[in-house]
Amino acid sequence: MINLRDKGAEIWERQGRLGRVGIALGGLAIAAALPFMGGTILNTPIADYESVLVYPIAMYVLMAIGLNIVIGKSGLLDLGYVAFFAIGAYTMGLLGTKTDLNTWEILPIGIAMAMFSGIILGVPALKLRGDYLAIITLGFGEIVRIVALNLGALGRSEGIINIPTPPAIFGIEYRFDSHRIYYWTLLVLILFAIWMVRRLSVRRAGRAWESIRQDEDAAELLGVPTFKYKVWAFVLGASVGGAAGVFYASKTLFIAPDNFTLQISILILACVVFGGMGNIWGVILGAVILGYLPDRIRFISDARLLVFGLVLVIMMNLRPDGLLPRKKREKAIVKKDAL
Amino acid sequence: MTSSLMQLKNVTMKFGGVTALSEVTFDVKKQEILGLIGPNGAGKTTVFNVITGVYQITSGEIIFDGKSLSGMKRYKITKRGVARTFQNIRLWGDMTALENVMTATDTHKKSGLVSGLFGFPVSRREEKRDKARAQELLDFIGIGEYADRLAKNLPYGVQRRLEIARAMGAEPKLLLLDEPAAGFNPAEKVELAATIRKIRDAGYTVLLIEHDMSLVMRVSDRVVVLDFGQKIADDSPRKVQDDPRVIEAYLGVPEDAS
Repeated sequence: MINLRDKGAEIWERQGRLGRVGIALGGLAIAAALPFMGGTILNTPIADYESVLVYPIAMYVLMAIGLNIVIGKSGLLDLGYVAFFAIGAYTMGLLGTKTDLNTWEILPIGIAMAMFSGIILGVPALKLRGDYLAIITLGFGEIVRIVALNLGALGRSEGIINIPTPPAIFGIEYRFDSHRIYYWTLLVLILFAIWMVRRLSVRRAGRAWESIRQDEDAAELLGVPTFKYKVWAFVLGASVGGAAGVFYASKTLFIAPDNFTLQISILILACVVFGGMGNIWGVILGAVILGYLPDRIRFISDARLLVFGLVLVIMMNLRPDGLLPRKKREKAIVKKDAL
Repeated sequence: MTSSLMQLKNVTMKFGGVTALSEVTFDVKKQEILGLIGPNGAGKTTVFNVITGVYQITSGEIIFDGKSLSGMKRYKITKRGVARTFQNIRLWGDMTALENVMTATDTHKKSGLVSGLFGFPVSRREEKRDKARAQELLDFIGIGEYADRLAKNLPYGVQRRLEIARAMGAEPKLLLLDEPAAGFNPAEKVELAATIRKIRDAGYTVLLIEHDMSLVMRVSDRVVVLDFGQKIADDSPRKVQDDPRVIEAYLGVPEDAS
Protein backbone atom coordinates (compact mmCIF):
# COMPACT_ATOMS: atom_id res chain seq x y z
CA MET A 1 0.00 0.00 0.00
CA ILE A 2 1.41 3.41 -0.89
CA ASN A 3 2.44 5.59 1.97
CA LEU A 4 0.09 8.55 1.73
CA ARG A 5 1.58 10.34 4.69
CA ASP A 6 5.09 10.42 3.26
CA LYS A 7 3.80 11.34 -0.21
CA GLY A 8 1.83 14.22 1.25
CA ALA A 9 4.69 15.39 3.44
CA GLU A 10 7.05 15.25 0.46
CA ILE A 11 4.81 17.40 -1.69
CA TRP A 12 4.41 19.85 1.18
CA GLU A 13 8.12 20.11 1.86
CA ARG A 14 9.02 20.66 -1.77
CA GLN A 15 6.80 23.74 -1.91
CA GLY A 16 8.01 27.23 -1.31
CA ARG A 17 6.08 29.62 0.87
CA LEU A 18 3.70 30.51 -1.94
CA GLY A 19 3.01 26.89 -2.80
CA ARG A 20 2.20 26.11 0.81
CA VAL A 21 -0.20 29.00 1.13
CA GLY A 22 -1.76 27.77 -2.11
CA ILE A 23 -2.22 24.23 -0.80
CA ALA A 24 -3.62 25.49 2.50
CA LEU A 25 -6.09 27.82 0.78
CA GLY A 26 -7.04 25.12 -1.71
CA GLY A 27 -7.74 22.65 1.08
CA LEU A 28 -9.73 25.24 2.93
CA ALA A 29 -11.74 26.10 -0.18
CA ILE A 30 -12.63 22.45 -0.71
CA ALA A 31 -13.67 22.10 2.93
CA ALA A 32 -15.73 25.29 2.72
CA ALA A 33 -17.39 24.17 -0.50
CA LEU A 34 -18.53 20.83 0.87
CA PRO A 35 -22.10 22.00 1.68
CA PHE A 36 -22.66 22.68 -2.05
CA MET A 37 -21.78 19.15 -3.04
CA GLY A 38 -25.03 17.61 -1.84
CA GLY A 39 -26.04 16.76 -5.41
CA THR A 40 -22.95 14.65 -6.05
CA ILE A 41 -21.96 11.15 -5.02
CA LEU A 42 -21.12 12.53 -1.59
CA ASN A 43 -24.81 12.90 -0.78
CA THR A 44 -26.07 10.88 2.13
CA PRO A 45 -29.28 9.00 1.44
CA ILE A 46 -32.06 9.41 4.02
CA ALA A 47 -30.06 11.70 6.34
CA ASP A 48 -29.90 15.38 5.44
CA TYR A 49 -26.49 15.86 3.87
CA GLU A 50 -25.81 19.37 5.15
CA SER A 51 -26.83 18.48 8.64
CA VAL A 52 -24.55 15.44 8.59
CA LEU A 53 -21.70 17.80 7.72
CA VAL A 54 -22.31 19.71 10.95
CA TYR A 55 -23.01 16.76 13.19
CA PRO A 56 -21.36 14.32 13.28
CA ILE A 57 -18.60 15.24 10.81
CA ALA A 58 -17.39 18.72 11.77
CA MET A 59 -18.18 18.14 15.43
CA TYR A 60 -16.21 14.88 15.44
CA VAL A 61 -13.28 16.57 13.71
CA LEU A 62 -13.17 19.28 16.36
CA MET A 63 -13.38 16.82 19.22
CA ALA A 64 -10.86 14.46 17.66
CA ILE A 65 -8.36 17.32 17.39
CA GLY A 66 -8.89 18.01 21.08
CA LEU A 67 -8.60 14.37 22.13
CA ASN A 68 -5.49 14.03 19.99
CA ILE A 69 -3.67 16.49 22.24
CA VAL A 70 -4.31 14.14 25.15
CA ILE A 71 -3.86 10.75 23.49
CA GLY A 72 -1.77 11.34 20.40
CA LYS A 73 0.60 13.98 21.70
CA SER A 74 1.13 13.05 25.31
CA GLY A 75 0.06 9.40 25.27
CA LEU A 76 -2.54 9.68 28.02
CA LEU A 77 -5.45 7.34 27.41
CA ASP A 78 -8.63 9.30 28.11
CA LEU A 79 -11.82 7.27 27.83
CA GLY A 80 -14.11 9.94 29.23
CA TYR A 81 -13.60 12.74 26.77
CA VAL A 82 -17.36 13.10 26.27
CA ALA A 83 -17.50 14.63 29.76
CA PHE A 84 -15.95 17.88 28.53
CA PHE A 85 -18.31 17.92 25.56
CA ALA A 86 -21.21 17.49 27.97
CA ILE A 87 -19.94 20.19 30.33
CA GLY A 88 -19.68 22.65 27.45
CA ALA A 89 -23.15 21.71 26.22
CA TYR A 90 -24.78 21.98 29.63
CA THR A 91 -23.10 25.31 30.30
CA MET A 92 -24.66 26.55 27.10
CA GLY A 93 -28.00 24.96 27.95
CA LEU A 94 -28.21 26.42 31.44
CA LEU A 95 -26.86 29.89 30.78
CA GLY A 96 -28.65 30.13 27.44
CA THR A 97 -32.07 29.43 28.94
CA LYS A 98 -31.68 31.01 32.39
CA THR A 99 -29.75 34.18 31.57
CA ASP A 100 -29.58 36.77 28.83
CA LEU A 101 -26.14 35.72 27.72
CA ASN A 102 -25.91 34.68 24.09
CA THR A 103 -23.87 31.88 22.52
CA TRP A 104 -20.84 34.03 21.78
CA GLU A 105 -20.69 35.20 25.38
CA ILE A 106 -21.23 31.69 26.72
CA LEU A 107 -18.56 30.16 24.48
CA PRO A 108 -15.62 31.37 26.60
CA ILE A 109 -17.50 30.49 29.80
CA GLY A 110 -18.16 26.98 28.50
CA ILE A 111 -14.51 26.59 27.52
CA ALA A 112 -13.44 27.84 30.95
CA MET A 113 -15.82 25.39 32.67
CA ALA A 114 -14.44 22.51 30.62
CA MET A 115 -10.87 23.55 31.37
CA PHE A 116 -11.65 23.87 35.05
CA SER A 117 -13.13 20.38 35.12
CA GLY A 118 -10.06 19.22 33.23
CA ILE A 119 -8.00 20.42 36.18
CA ILE A 120 -10.39 18.85 38.71
CA LEU A 121 -10.11 15.51 36.92
CA GLY A 122 -6.50 15.81 35.86
CA VAL A 123 -4.82 16.71 39.14
CA PRO A 124 -5.79 13.52 40.98
CA ALA A 125 -6.05 11.23 37.95
CA LEU A 126 -2.76 12.10 36.28
CA LYS A 127 -0.80 10.75 39.22
CA LEU A 128 -1.77 7.39 37.73
CA ARG A 129 -0.59 5.95 34.46
CA GLY A 130 -1.74 3.79 31.61
CA ASP A 131 -4.69 1.53 32.26
CA TYR A 132 -5.46 3.08 35.62
CA LEU A 133 -5.75 6.51 34.11
CA ALA A 134 -8.04 5.08 31.44
CA ILE A 135 -10.32 3.60 34.09
CA ILE A 136 -10.54 6.85 36.08
CA THR A 137 -11.35 8.91 33.00
CA LEU A 138 -13.92 6.33 31.96
CA GLY A 139 -15.53 6.75 35.37
CA PHE A 140 -15.44 10.53 35.10
CA GLY A 141 -17.26 10.45 31.78
CA GLU A 142 -20.01 8.35 33.29
CA ILE A 143 -20.19 10.49 36.46
CA VAL A 144 -20.87 13.62 34.45
CA ARG A 145 -23.64 11.91 32.47
CA ILE A 146 -25.22 10.41 35.59
CA VAL A 147 -25.11 13.73 37.45
CA ALA A 148 -26.91 15.32 34.51
CA LEU A 149 -29.42 12.49 34.62
CA ASN A 150 -30.19 13.01 38.29
CA LEU A 151 -29.81 16.72 38.93
CA GLY A 152 -33.11 18.59 38.80
CA ALA A 153 -31.45 21.80 37.70
CA LEU A 154 -30.14 20.04 34.61
CA GLY A 155 -33.55 18.69 33.66
CA ARG A 156 -32.83 15.05 34.50
CA SER A 157 -33.60 12.69 31.61
CA GLU A 158 -35.71 15.33 29.86
CA GLY A 159 -32.63 17.49 29.50
CA ILE A 160 -32.81 21.14 28.57
CA ILE A 161 -35.03 22.44 25.80
CA ASN A 162 -35.33 25.71 23.92
CA ILE A 163 -31.67 26.52 23.92
CA PRO A 164 -31.25 29.69 21.84
CA THR A 165 -29.39 29.72 18.55
CA PRO A 166 -26.41 32.05 18.26
CA PRO A 167 -27.39 35.67 17.53
CA ALA A 168 -26.37 37.18 14.23
CA ILE A 169 -22.75 38.15 14.00
CA PHE A 170 -21.16 40.22 11.22
CA GLY A 171 -24.59 40.16 9.57
CA ILE A 172 -24.65 36.38 9.42
CA GLU A 173 -27.86 34.93 10.76
CA TYR A 174 -28.12 31.58 12.46
CA ARG A 175 -31.44 29.90 11.74
CA PHE A 176 -31.79 26.43 13.16
CA ASP A 177 -32.13 24.97 9.67
CA SER A 178 -29.31 26.92 8.02
CA HIS A 179 -26.85 24.13 8.45
CA ARG A 180 -24.15 25.51 6.23
CA ILE A 181 -23.76 28.58 8.42
CA TYR A 182 -23.13 26.34 11.40
CA TYR A 183 -20.77 24.26 9.35
CA TRP A 184 -18.69 27.25 8.38
CA THR A 185 -18.58 28.50 11.94
CA LEU A 186 -17.35 25.10 13.07
CA LEU A 187 -14.75 25.27 10.33
CA VAL A 188 -13.45 28.47 11.90
CA LEU A 189 -13.29 26.78 15.31
CA ILE A 190 -11.47 23.83 13.76
CA LEU A 191 -8.95 26.13 12.11
CA PHE A 192 -8.35 27.80 15.44
CA ALA A 193 -7.80 24.42 17.12
CA ILE A 194 -5.38 23.37 14.36
CA TRP A 195 -3.48 26.62 14.78
CA MET A 196 -3.23 26.06 18.52
CA VAL A 197 -2.00 22.48 18.23
CA ARG A 198 0.52 23.20 15.50
CA ARG A 199 1.82 26.21 17.34
CA LEU A 200 2.36 24.28 20.56
CA SER A 201 3.84 21.28 18.81
CA VAL A 202 7.00 22.98 17.62
CA ARG A 203 8.15 24.43 20.89
CA ARG A 204 8.73 23.48 24.48
CA ALA A 205 5.27 22.04 25.08
CA GLY A 206 5.51 19.80 22.02
CA ARG A 207 8.84 18.41 23.12
CA ALA A 208 7.65 17.94 26.69
CA TRP A 209 4.58 15.97 25.53
CA GLU A 210 6.59 13.92 23.09
CA SER A 211 9.15 13.00 25.75
CA ILE A 212 6.39 12.11 28.22
CA ARG A 213 4.75 9.88 25.64
CA GLN A 214 7.95 8.04 24.86
CA ASP A 215 9.54 7.69 28.30
CA GLU A 216 7.96 9.56 31.15
CA ASP A 217 10.57 8.65 33.77
CA ALA A 218 13.45 9.74 31.59
CA ALA A 219 11.58 12.98 30.87
CA GLU A 220 11.16 13.78 34.53
CA LEU A 221 14.78 12.96 35.32
CA LEU A 222 15.93 15.32 32.61
CA GLY A 223 14.01 18.21 34.02
CA VAL A 224 10.63 18.08 32.27
CA PRO A 225 7.87 19.03 34.75
CA THR A 226 5.87 16.05 33.57
CA PHE A 227 2.87 16.47 35.82
CA LYS A 228 2.36 20.07 34.83
CA TYR A 229 2.50 19.27 31.13
CA LYS A 230 0.17 16.31 31.50
CA VAL A 231 -2.39 18.54 33.22
CA TRP A 232 -1.92 21.12 30.47
CA ALA A 233 -2.59 18.47 27.82
CA PHE A 234 -5.76 17.50 29.65
CA VAL A 235 -6.89 21.09 30.05
CA LEU A 236 -6.26 22.03 26.43
CA GLY A 237 -8.02 18.88 25.24
CA ALA A 238 -10.92 19.77 27.52
CA SER A 239 -11.11 23.32 26.16
CA VAL A 240 -11.64 22.05 22.62
CA GLY A 241 -14.25 19.54 23.82
CA GLY A 242 -16.00 22.30 25.76
CA ALA A 243 -16.12 24.58 22.73
CA ALA A 244 -17.61 21.75 20.67
CA GLY A 245 -20.19 21.19 23.41
CA VAL A 246 -21.32 24.81 23.57
CA PHE A 247 -21.79 24.92 19.85
CA TYR A 248 -23.52 21.57 19.75
CA ALA A 249 -26.12 22.69 22.29
CA SER A 250 -26.67 25.92 20.42
CA LYS A 251 -27.21 23.99 17.20
CA THR A 252 -29.48 21.15 18.31
CA LEU A 253 -31.50 23.43 20.64
CA PHE A 254 -32.13 20.46 22.89
CA ILE A 255 -29.76 18.39 24.96
CA ALA A 256 -30.29 15.37 27.19
CA PRO A 257 -27.97 12.98 29.01
CA ASP A 258 -28.51 10.47 26.20
CA ASN A 259 -26.46 12.67 23.89
CA PHE A 260 -23.40 12.20 26.05
CA THR A 261 -22.91 8.49 26.43
CA LEU A 262 -19.71 6.50 26.62
CA GLN A 263 -20.27 5.67 22.96
CA ILE A 264 -19.23 9.20 21.97
CA SER A 265 -15.95 8.88 23.89
CA ILE A 266 -15.26 5.58 22.18
CA LEU A 267 -16.15 6.94 18.75
CA ILE A 268 -13.89 9.96 19.08
CA LEU A 269 -11.14 7.68 20.30
CA ALA A 270 -11.78 5.51 17.24
CA CYS A 271 -11.45 8.60 15.02
CA VAL A 272 -8.05 9.35 16.55
CA VAL A 273 -6.74 5.79 16.33
CA PHE A 274 -8.24 5.12 12.90
CA GLY A 275 -6.85 8.31 11.42
CA GLY A 276 -3.41 8.04 13.00
CA MET A 277 -2.61 8.96 16.57
CA GLY A 278 -0.50 12.06 16.90
CA ASN A 279 -0.87 13.20 13.30
CA ILE A 280 -3.38 16.02 13.18
CA TRP A 281 -4.21 15.53 9.48
CA GLY A 282 -4.69 11.83 10.02
CA VAL A 283 -6.97 12.50 12.95
CA ILE A 284 -9.04 14.92 10.88
CA LEU A 285 -9.32 12.43 8.04
CA GLY A 286 -10.28 9.69 10.48
CA ALA A 287 -13.00 11.83 12.04
CA VAL A 288 -14.38 12.80 8.63
CA ILE A 289 -14.59 9.19 7.51
CA LEU A 290 -15.99 7.80 10.73
CA GLY A 291 -18.49 10.64 10.96
CA TYR A 292 -19.58 10.31 7.38
CA LEU A 293 -19.60 6.58 6.74
CA PRO A 294 -22.53 5.50 8.95
CA ASP A 295 -24.79 8.05 7.28
CA ARG A 296 -23.50 7.31 3.80
CA ILE A 297 -24.44 3.66 4.12
CA ARG A 298 -27.68 4.33 5.94
CA PHE A 299 -29.64 2.73 3.06
CA ILE A 300 -28.58 -0.72 4.20
CA SER A 301 -30.31 0.19 7.46
CA ASP A 302 -29.89 -2.56 10.02
CA ALA A 303 -26.65 -3.93 8.67
CA ARG A 304 -24.95 -0.55 8.62
CA LEU A 305 -23.29 -0.70 12.02
CA LEU A 306 -22.10 -4.19 11.17
CA VAL A 307 -20.53 -2.94 7.96
CA PHE A 308 -19.10 0.04 9.82
CA GLY A 309 -17.47 -2.25 12.35
CA LEU A 310 -16.17 -4.51 9.60
CA VAL A 311 -14.57 -1.57 7.80
CA LEU A 312 -12.87 -0.56 11.05
CA VAL A 313 -11.53 -4.05 11.68
CA ILE A 314 -10.24 -4.48 8.13
CA MET A 315 -8.63 -1.05 8.07
CA MET A 316 -6.93 -1.49 11.41
CA ASN A 317 -5.51 -4.78 10.20
CA LEU A 318 -4.18 -3.25 7.02
CA ARG A 319 -2.90 -0.08 8.63
CA PRO A 320 -2.42 -0.60 12.36
CA ASP A 321 -0.93 2.87 12.81
CA GLY A 322 -3.92 4.55 11.23
CA LEU A 323 -4.53 6.08 7.82
CA LEU A 324 -1.89 8.78 8.16
CA PRO A 325 0.43 7.64 10.94
CA ARG A 326 2.59 9.83 13.10
CA LYS A 327 5.66 11.04 11.30
CA LYS A 328 8.51 8.61 11.30
CA ARG A 329 10.57 10.71 9.02
CA GLU A 330 13.25 13.04 10.12
CA LYS A 331 11.23 16.13 10.83
CA ALA A 332 11.31 18.50 13.64
CA ILE A 333 9.77 19.59 16.89
CA VAL A 334 12.09 22.50 16.44
CA LYS A 335 11.14 25.26 14.10
CA LYS A 336 13.42 25.22 11.09
CA ASP A 337 13.89 28.96 11.10
CA ALA A 338 14.63 29.18 14.81
CA LEU A 339 18.31 29.59 14.15
CA MET B 1 41.52 21.18 48.94
CA THR B 2 38.61 22.27 46.78
CA SER B 3 35.19 22.60 48.34
CA SER B 4 32.63 19.85 48.03
CA LEU B 5 29.64 19.98 45.71
CA MET B 6 27.67 17.11 47.15
CA GLN B 7 27.80 15.10 50.33
CA LEU B 8 26.16 11.80 51.06
CA LYS B 9 25.86 11.33 54.81
CA ASN B 10 25.05 7.89 56.18
CA VAL B 11 22.73 7.17 53.29
CA THR B 12 20.74 3.99 53.80
CA MET B 13 18.30 2.58 51.28
CA LYS B 14 16.18 -0.42 52.18
CA PHE B 15 13.73 -2.26 49.96
CA GLY B 16 11.66 -4.26 52.41
CA GLY B 17 14.19 -6.55 54.06
CA VAL B 18 16.93 -5.92 51.52
CA THR B 19 19.46 -3.24 52.33
CA ALA B 20 20.75 -1.86 49.03
CA LEU B 21 22.83 0.88 50.59
CA SER B 22 24.04 0.87 54.14
CA GLU B 23 25.38 4.00 55.82
CA VAL B 24 27.14 5.19 52.70
CA THR B 25 29.09 8.38 53.23
CA PHE B 26 31.22 10.20 50.70
CA ASP B 27 31.48 13.60 49.16
CA VAL B 28 31.97 14.84 45.63
CA LYS B 29 34.29 17.77 45.20
CA LYS B 30 33.82 20.51 42.68
CA GLN B 31 35.27 19.80 39.26
CA GLU B 32 36.55 16.35 40.00
CA ILE B 33 35.90 13.06 38.25
CA LEU B 34 34.83 10.63 40.91
CA GLY B 35 34.73 6.98 39.89
CA LEU B 36 32.13 4.79 41.56
CA ILE B 37 32.93 1.11 41.21
CA GLY B 38 32.01 -2.20 42.75
CA PRO B 39 30.99 -5.71 41.75
CA ASN B 40 27.55 -6.38 40.27
CA GLY B 41 24.79 -5.64 42.76
CA ALA B 42 27.01 -3.47 44.94
CA GLY B 43 24.50 -0.60 44.80
CA LYS B 44 26.12 1.75 42.31
CA THR B 45 23.03 2.51 40.26
CA THR B 46 21.05 2.73 43.49
CA VAL B 47 23.33 5.62 44.48
CA PHE B 48 22.34 7.38 41.24
CA ASN B 49 18.70 6.63 41.88
CA VAL B 50 18.70 8.10 45.38
CA ILE B 51 20.58 11.20 44.25
CA THR B 52 18.17 11.88 41.40
CA GLY B 53 15.11 11.23 43.54
CA VAL B 54 13.96 8.01 41.88
CA TYR B 55 13.97 6.46 45.36
CA GLN B 56 13.46 8.21 48.68
CA ILE B 57 16.24 7.21 51.03
CA THR B 58 15.36 5.31 54.19
CA SER B 59 17.71 7.34 56.35
CA GLY B 60 20.66 9.67 56.05
CA GLU B 61 21.02 12.85 54.10
CA ILE B 62 22.11 14.04 50.68
CA ILE B 63 23.31 17.62 50.55
CA PHE B 64 23.78 19.13 47.11
CA ASP B 65 25.21 22.59 46.70
CA GLY B 66 24.34 23.45 50.28
CA LYS B 67 20.79 22.14 50.24
CA SER B 68 19.20 18.81 51.11
CA LEU B 69 17.71 16.93 48.17
CA SER B 70 15.39 14.71 50.17
CA GLY B 71 11.73 14.99 49.25
CA MET B 72 12.51 17.24 46.30
CA LYS B 73 10.68 16.49 43.06
CA ARG B 74 12.78 14.78 40.42
CA TYR B 75 12.62 17.51 37.83
CA LYS B 76 13.50 20.08 40.51
CA ILE B 77 16.61 18.11 41.44
CA THR B 78 17.57 18.27 37.78
CA LYS B 79 16.88 21.97 37.74
CA ARG B 80 19.10 22.44 40.79
CA GLY B 81 21.96 20.91 38.87
CA VAL B 82 22.05 17.11 38.77
CA ALA B 83 21.57 15.28 35.50
CA ARG B 84 22.19 11.69 34.58
CA THR B 85 22.54 9.18 31.81
CA PHE B 86 21.04 5.70 31.87
CA GLN B 87 22.77 2.36 31.92
CA ASN B 88 20.25 0.96 29.45
CA ILE B 89 19.89 3.75 26.91
CA ARG B 90 16.67 5.67 27.41
CA LEU B 91 16.61 8.26 24.70
CA TRP B 92 13.36 9.46 23.19
CA GLY B 93 13.69 7.43 20.02
CA ASP B 94 11.11 9.25 17.90
CA MET B 95 12.80 12.60 18.40
CA THR B 96 15.90 13.79 16.62
CA ALA B 97 19.20 14.07 18.45
CA LEU B 98 18.84 17.82 18.57
CA GLU B 99 15.31 17.60 19.97
CA ASN B 100 16.49 15.19 22.63
CA VAL B 101 19.02 17.73 23.85
CA MET B 102 16.60 20.64 23.51
CA THR B 103 14.04 18.89 25.68
CA ALA B 104 16.66 18.90 28.42
CA THR B 105 17.67 22.50 27.81
CA ASP B 106 14.01 23.44 28.28
CA THR B 107 14.62 22.80 31.99
CA HIS B 108 15.88 26.32 32.52
CA LYS B 109 13.46 28.13 30.23
CA LYS B 110 11.38 30.91 31.62
CA SER B 111 8.84 30.67 28.84
CA GLY B 112 6.35 27.84 28.91
CA LEU B 113 3.26 26.74 27.12
CA VAL B 114 1.32 30.01 27.09
CA SER B 115 4.12 32.21 25.79
CA GLY B 116 4.89 29.52 23.21
CA LEU B 117 1.29 29.52 22.05
CA PHE B 118 1.12 33.25 21.55
CA GLY B 119 4.68 33.52 20.30
CA PHE B 120 5.89 35.99 22.93
CA PRO B 121 9.34 37.34 22.11
CA VAL B 122 10.80 35.65 25.21
CA SER B 123 9.76 32.27 23.88
CA ARG B 124 11.23 32.93 20.45
CA ARG B 125 14.47 34.25 21.92
CA GLU B 126 14.91 31.29 24.26
CA GLU B 127 14.08 28.85 21.49
CA LYS B 128 16.78 30.34 19.33
CA ARG B 129 19.33 30.41 22.14
CA ASP B 130 18.61 26.82 23.19
CA LYS B 131 18.77 25.47 19.68
CA ALA B 132 22.22 26.97 19.31
CA ARG B 133 23.20 25.61 22.71
CA ALA B 134 21.96 22.10 21.87
CA GLN B 135 23.93 22.06 18.63
CA GLU B 136 26.96 23.31 20.52
CA LEU B 137 26.67 20.42 22.97
CA LEU B 138 26.33 17.86 20.19
CA ASP B 139 29.45 19.30 18.58
CA PHE B 140 31.22 19.27 21.93
CA ILE B 141 30.52 15.56 22.37
CA GLY B 142 31.50 14.99 18.77
CA ILE B 143 28.18 13.95 17.26
CA GLY B 144 27.13 17.25 15.76
CA GLU B 145 26.58 15.75 12.31
CA TYR B 146 23.78 13.55 13.65
CA ALA B 147 21.67 16.45 14.93
CA ASP B 148 18.74 15.89 12.56
CA ARG B 149 18.62 12.09 12.74
CA LEU B 150 16.03 10.29 14.82
CA ALA B 151 17.61 9.00 18.01
CA LYS B 152 16.43 5.44 17.45
CA ASN B 153 18.14 5.27 14.06
CA LEU B 154 21.54 6.30 15.39
CA PRO B 155 24.41 3.83 15.76
CA TYR B 156 24.86 2.46 19.25
CA GLY B 157 27.96 4.45 20.09
CA VAL B 158 26.34 7.69 19.00
CA GLN B 159 23.30 6.92 21.15
CA ARG B 160 25.57 6.49 24.17
CA ARG B 161 27.21 9.83 23.48
CA LEU B 162 23.84 11.45 22.86
CA GLU B 163 22.80 10.37 26.35
CA ILE B 164 25.70 12.40 27.71
CA ALA B 165 24.90 15.41 25.52
CA ARG B 166 21.26 15.27 26.60
CA ALA B 167 22.20 15.21 30.28
CA MET B 168 24.52 18.15 29.71
CA GLY B 169 21.61 19.94 28.08
CA ALA B 170 20.03 20.31 31.50
CA GLU B 171 23.10 22.43 32.42
CA PRO B 172 24.00 20.37 35.48
CA LYS B 173 26.72 21.14 37.96
CA LEU B 174 27.00 17.44 38.61
CA LEU B 175 26.86 14.95 35.77
CA LEU B 176 26.08 11.35 36.63
CA LEU B 177 27.30 8.90 34.01
CA ASP B 178 26.00 5.36 34.37
CA GLU B 179 28.32 2.99 32.49
CA PRO B 180 28.88 5.28 29.52
CA ALA B 181 31.42 2.89 27.98
CA ALA B 182 29.24 -0.23 28.07
CA GLY B 183 29.66 -2.06 24.77
CA PHE B 184 32.48 0.14 23.54
CA ASN B 185 35.61 -1.23 21.91
CA PRO B 186 39.02 -0.23 23.30
CA ALA B 187 39.52 2.59 20.81
CA GLU B 188 36.12 4.06 21.62
CA LYS B 189 36.90 3.81 25.31
CA VAL B 190 40.04 5.85 24.91
CA GLU B 191 38.06 8.44 23.02
CA LEU B 192 35.37 8.47 25.72
CA ALA B 193 37.99 8.95 28.44
CA ALA B 194 39.20 12.03 26.62
CA THR B 195 35.63 13.29 26.31
CA ILE B 196 34.99 12.84 30.02
CA ARG B 197 38.12 14.78 30.88
CA LYS B 198 37.05 17.47 28.43
CA ILE B 199 33.69 17.67 30.18
CA ARG B 200 35.40 18.13 33.53
CA ASP B 201 37.71 20.78 32.11
CA ALA B 202 34.63 22.63 30.85
CA GLY B 203 33.63 23.11 34.49
CA TYR B 204 31.41 20.14 35.23
CA THR B 205 31.76 17.69 38.08
CA VAL B 206 31.45 14.06 37.03
CA LEU B 207 30.36 11.05 39.02
CA LEU B 208 31.13 8.00 36.93
CA ILE B 209 29.94 4.43 37.25
CA GLU B 210 31.98 2.13 35.08
CA HIS B 211 32.89 -1.53 34.93
CA ASP B 212 35.96 -1.11 32.80
CA MET B 213 38.71 -0.77 35.38
CA SER B 214 41.35 0.61 33.06
CA LEU B 215 38.99 3.40 32.01
CA VAL B 216 38.02 4.27 35.58
CA MET B 217 41.59 4.24 36.77
CA ARG B 218 42.67 6.35 33.83
CA VAL B 219 40.14 9.16 34.14
CA SER B 220 39.17 9.32 37.80
CA ASP B 221 40.72 11.74 40.24
CA ARG B 222 39.36 9.64 43.07
CA VAL B 223 37.53 6.33 43.34
CA VAL B 224 34.82 5.16 45.73
CA VAL B 225 34.33 1.41 45.96
CA LEU B 226 31.05 -0.16 47.02
CA ASP B 227 30.46 -3.76 47.96
CA PHE B 228 27.11 -5.17 49.13
CA GLY B 229 25.85 -1.64 49.70
CA GLN B 230 28.76 -0.57 51.86
CA LYS B 231 31.63 1.72 51.09
CA ILE B 232 34.85 -0.22 51.37
CA ALA B 233 37.33 2.25 49.91
CA ASP B 234 37.59 5.92 48.99
CA ASP B 235 40.97 7.02 47.70
CA SER B 236 43.13 7.80 44.71
CA PRO B 237 42.96 5.25 41.87
CA ARG B 238 46.45 3.96 42.62
CA LYS B 239 45.80 3.31 46.30
CA VAL B 240 42.38 1.79 45.67
CA GLN B 241 43.91 -0.72 43.25
CA ASP B 242 46.24 -1.99 45.93
CA ASP B 243 43.66 -2.03 48.72
CA PRO B 244 43.29 -5.64 49.94
CA ARG B 245 39.57 -5.19 50.66
CA VAL B 246 38.95 -4.05 47.11
CA ILE B 247 40.90 -6.96 45.68
CA GLU B 248 38.95 -9.28 47.94
CA ALA B 249 35.62 -7.85 46.84
CA TYR B 250 36.48 -8.31 43.19
CA LEU B 251 38.44 -11.54 43.24
CA GLY B 252 37.36 -13.25 46.44
CA VAL B 253 39.68 -14.52 49.17
CA PRO B 254 42.15 -17.17 48.14
CA GLU B 255 41.41 -20.48 49.85
CA ASP B 256 44.84 -20.85 51.36
CA ALA B 257 44.83 -17.34 52.75
CA SER B 258 45.61 -17.41 56.43
